[in-house]
Amino acid sequence: MLKYLIKRVLYGIGAICVVVAIVMVMIYSMLDRSQVFAGDAVYPKTASNARVVYCNTKWEEYGYLDYVSYQEYVQQLARSGEIDEATASAAAVLGRKPEDDSAETAELTARFEEEYRSKGYQVQRLNADVNKRGKLKNGGQQAMFAVKDRPLTSRLWEYFTGLIDVDNIHYVEEDIGERGITFTLRDPLAEGKFSPAIMGNGTRHKYLLYFDSKFPFIHQNIATICLGQSYTVNTGVDVFDTMTRSQGSYVLRPTTYPTGHAENSADDLHSATYQAGSRESSQIYADRFTDDYTVTTTVRAGLSKMGYSFSIGIIATILAYLLGMPIGVAMALKKDKLLDKIGNVYIVFIIAVPSLAYIFLFKAIGGSVFHLPTTFDIESPSKLIYILPIISLALPQIASLMKWLRRYMIDQMNSDYVKFARSNGLTEGEIFSKHILKNAAIPIVHGIPGTILYAMTGAIITERVYVVPGAGNLLTEAIAKYDNGVIVGVTLFYAVLSVVSIILGDLLMAAVDPRISFTSKGR
Amino acid sequence: MEYDYSKLGLSTAELFSYQDHSDLDSEKITAPRYSYWRSVFRVFFQKKLNIFVLALLAFVILFAYLYPAFTEYDRFGQLANAEAKHLGPLAALSHFGFSIKYILGTGASGNATFDAIWNGAQISISLACICAAINMTVGVVVGAIWGFSKKVDTVMMVVYNIVGNVPTVLLIAVLVLIFRPSFWSMVLALTITGWIFIAYFIRTQVIIIRDREYNLASRCLGTGTVKIAMKNILPFMTSVIVTQLATELPSYISMEVFLAYIGIGLPEMSLGRLIYASESAMVTPGWGFEFWSPVAISSIITVVLYVVGLNLGDASDPRTHM
Repeated sequence: MLKYLIKRVLYGIGAICVVVAIVMVMIYSMLDRSQVFAGDAVYPKTASNARVVYCNTKWEEYGYLDYVSYQEYVQQLARSGEIDEATASAAAVLGRKPEDDSAETAELTARFEEEYRSKGYQVQRLNADVNKRGKLKNGGQQAMFAVKDRPLTSRLWEYFTGLIDVDNIHYVEEDIGERGITFTLRDPLAEGKFSPAIMGNGTRHKYLLYFDSKFPFIHQNIATICLGQSYTVNTGVDVFDTMTRSQGSYVLRPTTYPTGHAENSADDLHSATYQAGSRESSQIYADRFTDDYTVTTTVRAGLSKMGYSFSIGIIATILAYLLGMPIGVAMALKKDKLLDKIGNVYIVFIIAVPSLAYIFLFKAIGGSVFHLPTTFDIESPSKLIYILPIISLALPQIASLMKWLRRYMIDQMNSDYVKFARSNGLTEGEIFSKHILKNAAIPIVHGIPGTILYAMTGAIITERVYVVPGAGNLLTEAIAKYDNGVIVGVTLFYAVLSVVSIILGDLLMAAVDPRISFTSKGR
Repeated sequence: MEYDYSKLGLSTAELFSYQDHSDLDSEKITAPRYSYWRSVFRVFFQKKLNIFVLALLAFVILFAYLYPAFTEYDRFGQLANAEAKHLGPLAALSHFGFSIKYILGTGASGNATFDAIWNGAQISISLACICAAINMTVGVVVGAIWGFSKKVDTVMMVVYNIVGNVPTVLLIAVLVLIFRPSFWSMVLALTITGWIFIAYFIRTQVIIIRDREYNLASRCLGTGTVKIAMKNILPFMTSVIVTQLATELPSYISMEVFLAYIGIGLPEMSLGRLIYASESAMVTPGWGFEFWSPVAISSIITVVLYVVGLNLGDASDPRTHM
């Protein structure tokens, strides 16, 4: 069994890797990359050579290519000590045309070109863009750089090796004093009460392990999941954080900062991460913090994107099983009677009619007849707003449960073992509850882990129609905004969920039905 | 079982007569003539509901193709006329005088909603039919091979696990962006991986039937694989395929509506685009018709297609012919 499971998991991981690779090829190689500037505010303001340079730096940031400018190359040489400072500063100045170069520049540009050509880069030199009077046009500054499209293999490798980021004491590059990890029984933020914590110096996070009053009470910052940086949807924030970070208005509470400064703030000091030189650059940080662990997340009143999606999805799922199973059973029992006919009309309606149509229909009915709120408001304390999205999500689930349970029940009713049980003198009730229902429920059980896990991903249409700030729209939003990081991250997340839910479903089915075995020995 | 023939009041000579043995006669089958497709239609038309739904389907399809062909629809013809926009049916009829065009009012650019929904329906039905035809053909052929060959099965399962995990929305969005949004790029996007799900479904059905005893017997008697596929399995599959078609056809219309709503739909004013474009009209009092008309017509088309397909699928199951 364990061997089989390991094999399944390995196959699953392989499939996930290929899916991510396909998606990367699709978005990085097949799509026109100038599309990323569609919503860019800076792009229209740039012109001439500056625009070319801007495009390339942006593309590097978005992960399309590797970009090295000539100036970076000169600085790097100076840092490694191959050339001295004076030569470097002289050589860093490019002439307007290659003929205008100084001797040092000419030598180094030739070297730059040769070195990066041999590495497979394309080296480009843009001559100064001058007008008739010999003055530089807007953005016409001369430039030289080398670019290379990042190959799929290295992109994939970097993505998967960077998936789980383990914090270490050598994270901080600057001088930060004695690096190390300290264990304390009295967390400085717990105001002297007993609260064990592990803190680090030189690590990215200040608090590596700590307790607080929020579920699940013990929190860690040692390993963080990085699904990919967002560029446009939620700039600079990881996809996983985008999905799990709370939303809504700030929760202000009395906070005492390390310097002793006290005020009402929403900062979660436990989440502090390092930012080099932040106290020097900002008086606000200097007043509050004693070290450069200044970047904190904020505590907000609402749930996270995934939280909203999951709470709506899971209630809808439970509701669907509570309603759909008994109705499906009743339909099978009263086959061709009135209940069965009504149920079938409902199933046809839900399956055939576009989901958008009936969601709108229920929104209109719920809003005008029952006066339920139809647009989601994070700040509203009323729970009524959850009703319509939950109903909209539960309706199709109920229909499909009814349809399949009825089908399986009727199939079982006609099978030989039921006739045999009847001839043995079992009552209809016994046959029904002990034989038919158990057998008919097996395929239904297979789908349970999937429905629970997929509740996390959210529903695109329902969330759009009711303006729920959930995770369902993340993918479509990322596609619309050309946010490649988010697209890859969300794809990976979905693929993992799908693989896990199928494996869990098989295991659950094997647990429920002793006849099902995944080992060949059992047979 | 013993019968008491004396009760019938006939002599033994009258009851029984001697018959010569004939090889030719013993081979004759005296069952009533059975024609598969005639039986399918007999069963299908036994239900009065089916006749009604089929008539409705024929009407909707004919109307969707003939009405736009014989009338001129200019979406922006009334664009400059501020009084013609967002009219309810009564206001539109009194404004323009009675015409079938205006019985559902006018839309955001003064266009007749009635014309708009039939033009949209034509596009949506065409899309659904083309996609269903491509996907079903490829899906059934590949699915049959997939189910028959164990070698193909191992390869295709890997392909299926991978393709099934690429988010459909992403795939469609990327393809539509690469090939520029158009009717045919949408067809490509919906069919490039759509067939694999049908093929998987058919594969499972083929595997279930493939190893049944009667096929085993047939193989032992020396029937070739192609003949087994065509004569033993295909008749069994007809009802499954028709039922699958019944769910496929409306699903493309729903999919088109869904894609239009999330903003990666067709450039033409299909039903989905109409719903998407008039979403704001839903909550505006008096504008309801321009939103609910395309919703209603798309629901009618999908329900009618589904019911006809489902009942045709039931009728094409030979077990219902008795």
